[in-house]
Amino acid sequence: MLAELINPYYLQVASFILINIILGVSIYITLSTGQLSLANAGFMGIGAYTSALLTLNFDLPIIGGILAGTLLAGVFGILIGIPTLRLQGVYLAIVTLGFGEVIRVIFVNWESMTKGAVGLSGIPHMGRELLNTLKEFGFDPKILGLQNNQFVFLAIFLILLGVTISIITFFRRQNRSRVGRAFAAIKLDEKAAESMGINITYYKVLAFAQGALVAGFAGALFAHVLAYISPADFAYHRAVEILIFAVFGGSEVIWGPVFGALFLTVMPEVLRFISEYRYMIYGLIIIIMMAVRPQGLIDVNILNWLKLKTSKRRQKHGTSSQKSM
Amino acid sequence: MVLQVKKACKNFGGLSALSDVSFSINQGEIFGLIGPNGAGKTTMFNLITSMFTPTSGEIIFNEDNINGLKPHLITKKGICRTFQNIRLFPQMTAEENVMVGEHCRSKSGVFSSVFRTKSQRKEEERIRSKANELLEFVGLGGFADVVSDSLAYGQQRRLEIARALASSPQLLLLDEPAAGMNETETSELFHLIKKIQEQSITVLLIEHDMPLVMKLCDRIAVLNFGKKIAEGTPAEIQNNSDVIEAYLGSEEEDLYA
Repeated sequence: MLAELINPYYLQVASFILINIILGVSIYITLSTGQLSLANAGFMGIGAYTSALLTLNFDLPIIGGILAGTLLAGVFGILIGIPTLRLQGVYLAIVTLGFGEVIRVIFVNWESMTKGAVGLSGIPHMGRELLNTLKEFGFDPKILGLQNNQFVFLAIFLILLGVTISIITFFRRQNRSRVGRAFAAIKLDEKAAESMGINITYYKVLAFAQGALVAGFAGALFAHVLAYISPADFAYHRAVEILIFAVFGGSEVIWGPVFGALFLTVMPEVLRFISEYRYMIYGLIIIIMMAVRPQGLIDVNILNWLKLKTSKRRQKHGTSSQKSM
Repeated sequence: MVLQVKKACKNFGGLSALSDVSFSINQGEIFGLIGPNGAGKTTMFNLITSMFTPTSGEIIFNEDNINGLKPHLITKKGICRTFQNIRLFPQMTAEENVMVGEHCRSKSGVFSSVFRTKSQRKEEERIRSKANELLEFVGLGGFADVVSDSLAYGQQRRLEIARALASSPQLLLLDEPAAGMNETETSELFHLIKKIQEQSITVLLIEHDMPLVMKLCDRIAVLNFGKKIAEGTPAEIQNNSDVIEAYLGSEEEDLYA
Protein backbone atom coordinates (compact mmCIF):
# COMPACT_ATOMS: atom_id res chain seq x y z
CA MET A 1 0.00 0.00 0.00
CA LEU A 2 2.60 2.50 1.18
CA ALA A 3 5.04 1.05 -1.31
CA GLU A 4 2.90 2.02 -4.28
CA LEU A 5 2.59 5.59 -3.09
CA ILE A 6 6.28 6.19 -2.64
CA ASN A 7 8.09 7.08 -5.81
CA PRO A 8 11.83 7.65 -5.31
CA TYR A 9 11.91 10.18 -8.12
CA TYR A 10 9.33 12.43 -6.52
CA LEU A 11 11.04 12.09 -3.18
CA GLN A 12 14.33 13.09 -4.76
CA VAL A 13 12.74 16.20 -6.27
CA ALA A 14 11.11 17.00 -2.95
CA SER A 15 14.50 16.69 -1.22
CA PHE A 16 16.05 19.18 -3.62
CA ILE A 17 13.16 21.53 -3.02
CA LEU A 18 13.89 21.38 0.70
CA ILE A 19 17.60 22.03 0.20
CA ASN A 20 16.75 24.98 -2.02
CA ILE A 21 14.36 26.30 0.60
CA ILE A 22 17.19 26.22 3.14
CA LEU A 23 19.35 28.13 0.65
CA GLY A 24 16.52 30.61 0.15
CA VAL A 25 16.37 31.14 3.91
CA SER A 26 20.13 31.70 3.98
CA ILE A 27 19.96 34.66 1.60
CA TYR A 28 16.89 35.98 3.38
CA ILE A 29 18.76 36.21 6.69
CA THR A 30 21.51 38.46 5.36
CA LEU A 31 18.95 40.45 3.38
CA SER A 32 16.95 41.08 6.54
CA THR A 33 19.68 43.47 7.67
CA GLY A 34 19.73 45.04 4.20
CA GLN A 35 22.92 43.30 3.05
CA LEU A 36 22.75 41.66 -0.37
CA SER A 37 25.24 38.81 -0.31
CA LEU A 38 25.89 36.63 -3.35
CA ALA A 39 28.49 34.58 -1.51
CA ASN A 40 26.02 31.95 -0.38
CA ALA A 41 26.89 29.59 -3.25
CA GLY A 42 30.50 29.81 -2.06
CA PHE A 43 29.53 29.12 1.57
CA MET A 44 27.45 26.21 0.31
CA GLY A 45 30.52 24.88 -1.47
CA ILE A 46 32.64 25.23 1.65
CA GLY A 47 30.07 23.26 3.64
CA ALA A 48 29.76 20.58 0.95
CA TYR A 49 33.48 20.06 0.34
CA THR A 50 34.41 20.15 4.02
CA SER A 51 31.86 17.54 4.95
CA ALA A 52 32.56 15.37 1.91
CA LEU A 53 36.33 15.40 2.41
CA LEU A 54 36.13 14.71 6.13
CA THR A 55 33.77 11.77 5.69
CA LEU A 56 35.72 10.38 2.71
CA ASN A 57 39.25 10.74 4.03
CA PHE A 58 38.86 10.50 7.79
CA ASP A 59 35.82 8.23 8.10
CA LEU A 60 34.06 10.87 10.15
CA PRO A 61 30.38 10.05 10.69
CA ILE A 62 28.09 12.08 8.41
CA ILE A 63 26.71 14.14 11.27
CA GLY A 64 30.23 15.16 12.28
CA GLY A 65 31.03 16.11 8.70
CA ILE A 66 27.89 18.22 8.34
CA LEU A 67 28.60 19.96 11.62
CA ALA A 68 32.19 20.75 10.64
CA GLY A 69 31.15 21.96 7.18
CA THR A 70 28.47 24.21 8.66
CA LEU A 71 30.81 25.71 11.23
CA LEU A 72 33.62 26.31 8.76
CA ALA A 73 31.19 28.10 6.43
CA GLY A 74 30.12 30.20 9.42
CA VAL A 75 33.73 31.09 10.21
CA PHE A 76 34.21 32.20 6.61
CA GLY A 77 30.99 34.18 6.95
CA ILE A 78 32.50 36.15 9.82
CA LEU A 79 35.78 36.60 7.94
CA ILE A 80 33.98 37.98 4.89
CA GLY A 81 31.35 39.83 6.90
CA ILE A 82 33.74 42.06 8.86
CA PRO A 83 35.72 43.67 6.01
CA THR A 84 32.58 44.15 3.89
CA LEU A 85 30.67 45.97 6.65
CA ARG A 86 31.10 49.35 5.03
CA LEU A 87 29.94 48.18 1.63
CA GLN A 88 26.35 48.48 0.59
CA GLY A 89 24.07 47.45 -2.22
CA VAL A 90 25.76 46.73 -5.52
CA TYR A 91 29.28 47.03 -4.08
CA LEU A 92 28.63 44.36 -1.50
CA ALA A 93 26.99 42.16 -4.14
CA ILE A 94 30.04 42.40 -6.41
CA VAL A 95 32.53 41.66 -3.62
CA THR A 96 30.58 38.66 -2.38
CA LEU A 97 30.11 37.37 -5.91
CA GLY A 98 33.87 37.63 -6.35
CA PHE A 99 34.39 35.67 -3.13
CA GLY A 100 32.17 32.88 -4.46
CA GLU A 101 34.22 32.70 -7.64
CA VAL A 102 37.46 32.54 -5.66
CA ILE A 103 36.09 29.60 -3.69
CA ARG A 104 35.08 27.83 -6.89
CA VAL A 105 38.48 28.41 -8.49
CA ILE A 106 40.16 26.96 -5.40
CA PHE A 107 38.01 23.84 -5.70
CA VAL A 108 38.97 23.51 -9.36
CA ASN A 109 42.70 24.02 -8.87
CA TRP A 110 43.45 22.33 -5.57
CA GLU A 111 43.47 19.01 -7.38
CA SER A 112 45.41 16.97 -4.82
CA MET A 113 42.62 17.60 -2.35
CA THR A 114 39.43 18.22 -4.33
CA LYS A 115 40.12 16.22 -7.50
CA GLY A 116 39.61 19.44 -9.46
CA ALA A 117 36.86 19.85 -11.99
CA VAL A 118 36.09 16.12 -11.95
CA GLY A 119 34.59 16.51 -8.52
CA LEU A 120 34.26 14.16 -5.58
CA SER A 121 32.26 10.98 -5.93
CA GLY A 122 31.39 8.17 -3.57
CA ILE A 123 30.54 10.54 -0.75
CA PRO A 124 28.73 8.62 2.01
CA HIS A 125 25.03 8.79 1.22
CA MET A 126 22.87 9.94 4.09
CA GLY A 127 19.97 7.58 3.40
CA ARG A 128 22.05 4.51 2.63
CA GLU A 129 24.26 5.01 5.70
CA LEU A 130 21.16 5.27 7.81
CA LEU A 131 19.76 2.08 6.29
CA ASN A 132 23.02 0.21 6.91
CA THR A 133 23.12 1.34 10.52
CA LEU A 134 19.52 0.33 11.06
CA LYS A 135 20.15 -3.04 9.41
CA GLU A 136 22.85 -3.74 11.96
CA PHE A 137 20.14 -3.49 14.58
CA GLY A 138 18.08 -6.01 12.63
CA PHE A 139 15.77 -3.53 10.96
CA ASP A 140 14.43 -4.38 7.53
CA PRO A 141 12.45 -1.87 5.43
CA LYS A 142 10.18 -4.75 4.42
CA ILE A 143 8.57 -4.48 7.84
CA LEU A 144 7.12 -1.19 6.55
CA GLY A 145 6.40 -2.81 3.20
CA LEU A 146 9.13 -0.76 1.50
CA GLN A 147 11.90 -1.56 -0.95
CA ASN A 148 15.39 -0.62 0.15
CA ASN A 149 15.70 2.39 -2.13
CA GLN A 150 12.20 3.58 -1.29
CA PHE A 151 13.17 3.59 2.35
CA VAL A 152 16.41 5.41 1.58
CA PHE A 153 14.72 8.27 -0.22
CA LEU A 154 11.87 8.47 2.22
CA ALA A 155 14.34 8.73 5.11
CA ILE A 156 16.25 11.53 3.39
CA PHE A 157 13.06 13.40 2.67
CA LEU A 158 11.82 13.13 6.24
CA ILE A 159 15.17 14.20 7.71
CA LEU A 160 15.33 17.21 5.39
CA LEU A 161 11.72 18.09 6.11
CA GLY A 162 12.41 18.09 9.83
CA VAL A 163 15.55 20.14 9.37
CA THR A 164 13.85 22.68 7.10
CA ILE A 165 10.94 23.15 9.46
CA SER A 166 13.33 23.65 12.39
CA ILE A 167 15.34 26.24 10.47
CA ILE A 168 12.26 28.19 9.44
CA THR A 169 10.90 28.05 12.99
CA PHE A 170 14.25 29.21 14.34
CA PHE A 171 14.36 32.29 12.16
CA ARG A 172 10.68 33.11 12.51
CA ARG A 173 11.13 33.18 16.25
CA GLN A 174 14.31 35.19 15.97
CA ASN A 175 12.49 37.69 13.77
CA ARG A 176 9.80 38.29 16.32
CA SER A 177 12.21 39.26 19.06
CA ARG A 178 14.71 41.89 20.09
CA VAL A 179 17.24 40.53 17.58
CA GLY A 180 14.71 40.57 14.74
CA ARG A 181 13.71 44.15 15.55
CA ALA A 182 17.36 45.17 15.48
CA PHE A 183 17.79 43.50 12.06
CA ALA A 184 14.72 45.25 10.69
CA ALA A 185 15.78 48.60 12.13
CA ILE A 186 19.20 48.32 10.49
CA LYS A 187 17.59 47.43 7.17
CA LEU A 188 15.20 50.37 7.31
CA ASP A 189 17.57 53.10 8.54
CA GLU A 190 21.08 52.27 9.63
CA LYS A 191 21.90 55.69 11.11
CA ALA A 192 18.69 55.86 13.09
CA ALA A 193 19.20 52.29 14.32
CA GLU A 194 22.68 53.20 15.49
CA SER A 195 21.53 56.23 17.40
CA MET A 196 18.78 54.15 19.05
CA GLY A 197 21.54 52.13 20.69
CA ILE A 198 21.82 49.21 18.30
CA ASN A 199 25.32 47.88 17.77
CA ILE A 200 25.12 47.65 14.00
CA THR A 201 28.54 46.06 13.58
CA TYR A 202 27.53 43.15 15.76
CA TYR A 203 24.15 42.57 14.16
CA LYS A 204 25.36 42.90 10.58
CA VAL A 205 28.17 40.40 11.14
CA LEU A 206 25.75 38.17 13.03
CA ALA A 207 23.33 38.15 10.08
CA PHE A 208 26.14 37.52 7.64
CA ALA A 209 27.49 34.63 9.71
CA GLN A 210 24.04 33.13 10.18
CA GLY A 211 23.44 33.27 6.43
CA ALA A 212 26.80 31.58 5.84
CA LEU A 213 26.08 28.91 8.47
CA VAL A 214 22.75 28.06 6.92
CA ALA A 215 24.18 28.02 3.38
CA GLY A 216 27.08 25.83 4.52
CA PHE A 217 24.60 23.52 6.21
CA ALA A 218 22.55 23.26 3.01
CA GLY A 219 25.75 22.51 1.09
CA ALA A 220 26.77 19.73 3.47
CA LEU A 221 23.30 18.18 3.20
CA PHE A 222 23.51 18.51 -0.58
CA ALA A 223 26.78 16.55 -0.63
CA HIS A 224 25.36 13.67 1.38
CA VAL A 225 22.09 13.54 -0.52
CA LEU A 226 23.65 13.55 -3.98
CA ALA A 227 26.83 11.63 -3.04
CA TYR A 228 28.63 13.51 -5.79
CA ILE A 229 29.78 17.14 -5.92
CA SER A 230 31.85 19.17 -8.35
CA PRO A 231 32.92 22.82 -8.38
CA ALA A 232 30.28 23.56 -11.04
CA ASP A 233 27.59 22.92 -8.41
CA PHE A 234 28.69 26.04 -6.53
CA ALA A 235 29.39 28.38 -9.41
CA TYR A 236 27.90 31.69 -10.46
CA HIS A 237 24.72 29.95 -11.63
CA ARG A 238 24.00 28.72 -8.14
CA ALA A 239 24.55 32.18 -6.67
CA VAL A 240 22.06 33.65 -9.12
CA GLU A 241 19.61 30.83 -8.53
CA ILE A 242 19.62 31.50 -4.78
CA LEU A 243 19.17 35.20 -5.44
CA ILE A 244 16.21 34.49 -7.70
CA PHE A 245 14.45 32.59 -4.90
CA ALA A 246 14.45 35.82 -2.90
CA VAL A 247 13.75 38.14 -5.84
CA PHE A 248 10.87 36.07 -7.13
CA GLY A 249 9.33 35.02 -3.83
CA GLY A 250 10.10 38.24 -2.00
CA SER A 251 12.53 39.03 0.79
CA GLU A 252 10.33 40.97 3.21
CA VAL A 253 9.04 37.87 4.98
CA ILE A 254 10.64 34.46 5.36
CA TRP A 255 7.83 32.83 3.37
CA GLY A 256 8.95 34.76 0.29
CA PRO A 257 12.20 32.88 -0.43
CA VAL A 258 10.59 29.66 0.82
CA PHE A 259 7.85 30.01 -1.77
CA GLY A 260 10.36 31.14 -4.41
CA ALA A 261 12.54 28.08 -3.85
CA LEU A 262 9.53 25.78 -3.90
CA PHE A 263 8.02 27.20 -7.06
CA LEU A 264 11.23 27.60 -9.01
CA THR A 265 12.42 24.07 -8.21
CA VAL A 266 9.12 22.47 -9.09
CA MET A 267 8.62 24.42 -12.29
CA PRO A 268 11.48 22.95 -14.37
CA GLU A 269 10.46 19.44 -13.22
CA VAL A 270 6.84 19.90 -14.17
CA LEU A 271 7.66 21.64 -17.41
CA ARG A 272 10.47 19.35 -18.47
CA PHE A 273 10.52 20.69 -22.03
CA ILE A 274 11.52 24.19 -20.90
CA SER A 275 14.13 23.21 -18.34
CA GLU A 276 16.83 23.82 -20.95
CA TYR A 277 15.81 27.44 -21.07
CA ARG A 278 15.80 27.77 -17.29
CA TYR A 279 18.42 30.52 -17.08
CA MET A 280 16.72 32.50 -19.83
CA ILE A 281 13.51 32.30 -17.86
CA TYR A 282 15.32 33.35 -14.69
CA GLY A 283 16.61 36.42 -16.50
CA LEU A 284 13.14 37.23 -17.69
CA ILE A 285 11.74 36.78 -14.18
CA ILE A 286 14.24 39.28 -12.75
CA ILE A 287 13.33 41.88 -15.34
CA ILE A 288 9.59 41.43 -14.94
CA MET A 289 9.70 41.33 -11.16
CA MET A 290 11.87 44.46 -10.93
CA ALA A 291 9.46 46.32 -13.17
CA VAL A 292 6.17 45.09 -11.75
CA ARG A 293 6.71 43.89 -8.24
CA PRO A 294 10.13 44.76 -6.80
CA GLN A 295 9.26 43.42 -3.35
CA GLY A 296 8.63 39.89 -4.71
CA LEU A 297 5.44 37.87 -4.86
CA ILE A 298 4.95 37.34 -1.14
CA ASP A 299 4.95 40.44 1.04
CA VAL A 300 3.38 41.54 4.31
CA ASN A 301 0.17 42.71 2.63
CA ILE A 302 -0.40 39.38 0.91
CA LEU A 303 0.21 37.52 4.16
CA ASN A 304 -2.26 39.73 6.03
CA TRP A 305 -4.81 39.22 3.26
CA LEU A 306 -4.36 35.45 3.45
CA LYS A 307 -4.72 35.51 7.23
CA LEU A 308 -7.91 37.51 6.92
CA LYS A 309 -9.27 35.06 4.37
CA THR A 310 -8.56 31.98 6.44
CA SER A 311 -9.89 33.51 9.63
CA LYS A 312 -13.11 34.52 7.83
CA ARG A 313 -13.52 31.03 6.47
CA ARG A 314 -12.98 29.57 9.91
CA GLN A 315 -15.59 31.89 11.35
CA LYS A 316 -18.04 30.75 8.69
CA HIS A 317 -17.49 27.16 9.71
CA GLY A 318 -18.20 28.09 13.27
CA THR A 319 -14.85 27.21 14.80
CA SER A 320 -13.37 29.92 16.90
CA SER A 321 -10.51 31.85 15.39
CA GLN A 322 -9.84 34.57 17.87
CA LYS A 323 -6.25 33.56 18.18
CA SER A 324 -4.12 34.47 15.25
CA MET A 325 -0.43 35.07 15.04
CA MET B 1 26.31 69.29 35.37
CA VAL B 2 24.98 66.74 32.93
CA LEU B 3 26.78 67.81 29.80
CA GLN B 4 29.83 69.94 29.27
CA VAL B 5 31.04 70.92 25.83
CA LYS B 6 34.58 72.30 26.01
CA LYS B 7 36.01 74.21 23.06
CA ALA B 8 34.45 71.92 20.48
CA CYS B 9 35.70 72.39 16.91
CA LYS B 10 34.60 70.60 13.81
CA ASN B 11 36.11 71.15 10.37
CA PHE B 12 34.86 69.63 7.16
CA GLY B 13 37.89 69.89 4.90
CA GLY B 14 38.75 73.59 4.97
CA LEU B 15 35.32 74.59 6.17
CA SER B 16 34.96 75.20 9.86
CA ALA B 17 31.45 74.22 10.94
CA LEU B 18 32.06 74.80 14.63
CA SER B 19 34.91 76.65 16.30
CA ASP B 20 35.63 76.78 20.01
CA VAL B 21 32.07 76.31 21.18
CA SER B 22 31.70 75.74 24.90
CA PHE B 23 28.62 75.48 27.04
CA SER B 24 27.31 73.34 29.84
CA ILE B 25 23.90 72.06 30.75
CA ASN B 26 22.65 71.56 34.30
CA GLN B 27 20.64 68.60 35.50
CA GLY B 28 16.91 68.99 34.81
CA GLU B 29 17.27 72.03 32.59
CA ILE B 30 15.71 72.73 29.20
CA PHE B 31 18.57 74.21 27.24
CA GLY B 32 17.96 75.87 23.89
CA LEU B 33 20.42 75.95 21.02
CA ILE B 34 19.40 78.54 18.45
CA GLY B 35 20.91 80.37 15.55
CA PRO B 36 20.33 81.11 11.89
CA ASN B 37 20.40 78.34 9.29
CA GLY B 38 23.83 76.80 8.85
CA ALA B 39 25.06 78.04 12.21
CA GLY B 40 26.22 74.55 13.21
CA LYS B 41 23.42 73.47 15.54
CA THR B 42 22.84 70.05 14.02
CA THR B 43 26.61 69.55 13.72
CA MET B 44 26.73 70.13 17.49
CA PHE B 45 24.12 67.35 17.95
CA ASN B 46 26.14 65.05 15.73
CA LEU B 47 29.22 65.68 17.85
CA ILE B 48 27.38 65.01 21.10
CA THR B 49 25.92 61.75 19.76
CA SER B 50 29.27 60.79 18.20
CA MET B 51 27.91 60.63 14.67
CA PHE B 52 30.94 62.84 13.98
CA THR B 53 34.10 63.01 16.05
CA PRO B 54 35.16 66.54 16.98
CA THR B 55 38.29 67.91 15.28
CA SER B 56 39.32 69.16 18.71
CA GLY B 57 37.73 69.85 22.04
CA GLU B 58 36.01 67.68 24.60
CA ILE B 59 32.49 66.54 25.30
CA ILE B 60 31.91 65.44 28.86
CA PHE B 61 28.78 63.65 29.99
CA ASN B 62 28.38 62.99 33.72
CA GLU B 63 32.10 63.50 34.24
CA ASP B 64 33.02 60.99 31.51
CA ASN B 65 34.74 62.07 28.35
CA ILE B 66 32.58 60.62 25.58
CA ASN B 67 34.69 61.70 22.61
CA GLY B 68 35.00 58.98 20.01
CA LEU B 69 32.64 56.49 21.65
CA LYS B 70 30.52 54.53 19.20
CA PRO B 71 27.06 56.10 18.76
CA HIS B 72 25.25 53.10 20.21
CA LEU B 73 27.35 53.33 23.37
CA ILE B 74 26.45 57.00 23.71
CA THR B 75 22.80 55.95 23.72
CA LYS B 76 23.58 53.35 26.34
CA LYS B 77 25.24 56.01 28.51
CA GLY B 78 21.99 57.97 28.45
CA ILE B 79 21.94 60.42 25.56
CA CYS B 80 19.31 59.97 22.87
CA ARG B 81 18.17 62.19 20.04
CA THR B 82 15.52 62.88 17.46
CA PHE B 83 16.25 63.97 13.92
CA GLN B 84 15.56 67.20 12.06
CA ASN B 85 14.21 65.25 9.09
CA ILE B 86 12.16 62.54 10.76
CA ARG B 87 13.93 59.19 10.72
CA LEU B 88 11.45 56.63 11.97
CA PHE B 89 11.51 53.05 10.75
CA PRO B 90 8.83 53.57 8.11
CA GLN B 91 7.41 50.07 7.72
CA MET B 92 7.26 49.31 11.44
CA THR B 93 4.23 50.04 13.56
CA ALA B 94 4.37 52.82 16.14
CA GLU B 95 4.69 50.23 18.90
CA GLU B 96 7.58 48.44 17.15
CA ASN B 97 9.38 51.72 16.62
CA VAL B 98 9.30 52.45 20.33
CA MET B 99 10.28 48.85 21.14
CA VAL B 100 13.40 49.29 19.01
CA GLY B 101 14.20 52.32 21.16
CA GLU B 102 14.42 50.07 24.21
CA HIS B 103 17.11 47.96 22.57
CA CYS B 104 19.98 49.11 24.73
CA ARG B 105 17.97 48.64 27.95
CA SER B 106 17.25 44.99 27.20
CA LYS B 107 19.52 42.07 26.52
CA SER B 108 17.89 38.96 25.03
CA GLY B 109 20.17 37.36 22.46
CA VAL B 110 19.62 34.91 19.64
CA PHE B 111 19.19 31.77 21.70
CA SER B 112 16.98 33.13 24.44
CA SER B 113 14.81 34.64 21.68
CA VAL B 114 14.53 31.43 19.71
CA PHE B 115 13.93 29.18 22.69
CA ARG B 116 11.65 31.72 24.38
CA THR B 117 13.23 31.43 27.80
CA LYS B 118 11.29 32.69 30.78
CA SER B 119 13.46 35.77 31.20
CA GLN B 120 13.11 36.57 27.50
CA ARG B 121 9.31 36.40 27.65
CA LYS B 122 9.29 38.58 30.76
CA GLU B 123 11.59 41.10 29.11
CA GLU B 124 9.48 41.16 25.95
CA GLU B 125 6.38 41.75 28.10
CA ARG B 126 8.12 44.60 29.91
CA ILE B 127 9.34 46.19 26.66
CA ARG B 128 5.89 46.05 25.15
CA SER B 129 4.09 47.53 28.12
CA LYS B 130 6.66 50.29 28.47
CA ALA B 131 6.31 51.05 24.77
CA ASN B 132 2.57 51.42 25.20
CA GLU B 133 3.02 53.65 28.24
CA LEU B 134 5.32 55.89 26.23
CA LEU B 135 2.89 56.04 23.31
CA GLU B 136 0.22 57.08 25.81
CA PHE B 137 2.65 59.63 27.28
CA VAL B 138 3.22 61.40 23.94
CA GLY B 139 -0.46 61.22 23.08
CA LEU B 140 -0.40 58.36 20.59
CA GLY B 141 -2.32 55.93 22.77
CA GLY B 142 -4.61 54.59 20.06
CA PHE B 143 -1.98 54.30 17.37
CA ALA B 144 0.14 51.36 18.56
CA ASP B 145 -0.65 49.18 15.53
CA VAL B 146 -0.50 51.91 12.91
CA VAL B 147 2.44 51.73 10.51
CA SER B 148 4.54 54.79 11.31
CA ASP B 149 4.68 55.83 7.68
CA SER B 150 0.94 56.46 7.63
CA LEU B 151 0.88 58.65 10.76
CA ALA B 152 0.35 62.39 10.36
CA TYR B 153 3.44 64.58 10.39
CA GLY B 154 2.97 65.93 13.90
CA GLN B 155 2.30 62.43 15.18
CA GLN B 156 5.50 61.18 13.57
CA ARG B 157 7.41 63.90 15.41
CA ARG B 158 5.90 62.81 18.71
CA LEU B 159 6.53 59.15 17.91
CA GLU B 160 10.19 59.98 17.40
CA ILE B 161 10.26 61.55 20.85
CA ALA B 162 8.63 58.42 22.32
CA ARG B 163 11.22 56.24 20.58
CA ALA B 164 14.04 58.36 22.00
CA LEU B 165 12.49 58.27 25.50
CA ALA B 166 12.33 54.48 25.26
CA SER B 167 16.10 54.32 25.72
CA SER B 168 15.60 55.91 29.19
CA PRO B 169 17.89 58.84 28.48
CA GLN B 170 19.17 61.33 31.05
CA LEU B 171 19.71 63.84 28.28
CA LEU B 172 17.28 64.13 25.39
CA LEU B 173 18.33 65.99 22.25
CA LEU B 174 15.45 67.35 20.18
CA ASP B 175 16.29 68.64 16.71
CA GLU B 176 13.60 71.10 15.60
CA PRO B 177 10.68 69.17 17.09
CA ALA B 178 8.19 71.91 16.16
CA ALA B 179 9.21 72.18 12.51
CA GLY B 180 6.14 72.09 10.31
CA MET B 181 3.68 72.07 13.19
CA ASN B 182 0.64 74.31 13.47
CA GLU B 183 -0.14 76.33 16.61
CA THR B 184 -2.22 73.68 18.36
CA GLU B 185 0.40 71.04 17.72
CA THR B 186 3.13 73.37 18.92
CA SER B 187 1.32 74.06 22.16
CA GLU B 188 0.82 70.31 22.68
CA LEU B 189 4.54 69.92 22.08
CA PHE B 190 5.25 72.60 24.69
CA HIS B 191 3.31 70.64 27.31
CA LEU B 192 4.95 67.40 26.25
CA ILE B 193 8.45 68.80 26.68
CA LYS B 194 7.48 70.25 30.06
CA LYS B 195 6.19 66.81 31.08
CA ILE B 196 9.51 65.29 29.99
CA GLN B 197 11.33 67.83 32.16
CA GLU B 198 9.14 66.85 35.12
CA GLN B 199 10.47 63.32 34.79
CA SER B 200 13.89 64.86 35.53
CA ILE B 201 15.15 64.32 32.01
CA THR B 202 17.42 67.10 30.80
CA VAL B 203 16.50 68.47 27.38
CA LEU B 204 18.72 70.07 24.77
CA LEU B 205 16.58 71.68 22.11
CA ILE B 206 17.27 73.07 18.66
CA GLU B 207 14.35 75.13 17.48
CA HIS B 208 13.50 77.96 15.12
CA ASP B 209 10.12 78.73 16.64
CA MET B 210 11.23 81.69 18.84
CA PRO B 211 8.06 82.08 20.93
CA LEU B 212 8.28 78.39 21.83
CA VAL B 213 11.99 78.59 22.65
CA MET B 214 11.52 81.68 24.82
CA LYS B 215 8.63 80.11 26.73
CA LEU B 216 10.23 76.72 27.14
CA CYS B 217 13.93 77.15 27.77
CA ASP B 218 15.66 77.87 31.05
CA ARG B 219 18.83 78.91 29.29
CA ILE B 220 19.78 79.46 25.67
CA ALA B 221 23.00 79.46 23.68
CA VAL B 222 23.13 81.22 20.32
CA LEU B 223 25.35 80.03 17.48
CA ASN B 224 26.22 82.00 14.37
CA PHE B 225 28.66 80.82 11.69
CA GLY B 226 29.92 78.07 14.00
CA LYS B 227 30.70 80.38 16.91
CA LYS B 228 28.81 80.92 20.13
CA ILE B 229 27.76 84.55 20.23
CA ALA B 230 25.64 84.58 23.37
CA GLU B 231 24.41 82.51 26.27
CA GLY B 232 21.86 83.30 28.94
CA THR B 233 18.26 83.30 30.03
CA PRO B 234 15.57 83.97 27.41
CA ALA B 235 15.24 87.58 28.61
CA GLU B 236 18.97 88.21 28.31
CA ILE B 237 19.06 86.66 24.85
CA GLN B 238 16.13 88.74 23.63
CA ASN B 239 17.96 91.94 24.54
CA ASN B 240 21.41 90.92 23.37
CA SER B 241 22.51 93.16 20.52
CA ASP B 242 24.74 90.51 18.90
CA VAL B 243 21.81 88.12 18.72
CA ILE B 244 19.51 90.71 17.27
CA GLU B 245 22.15 91.52 14.69
CA ALA B 246 22.61 87.86 13.75
CA TYR B 247 18.91 87.38 13.25
CA LEU B 248 17.78 90.73 11.87
CA GLY B 249 20.95 92.35 10.55
CA SER B 250 22.49 95.48 12.09
CA GLU B 251 20.75 98.84 12.26
CA GLU B 252 23.15 100.36 9.78
CA GLU B 253 22.06 97.86 7.16
CA ASP B 254 18.48 98.76 7.99
CA LEU B 255 19.14 102.35 7.00
CA TYR B 256 20.03 101.29 3.50
CA ALA B 257 17.27 98.76 3.17
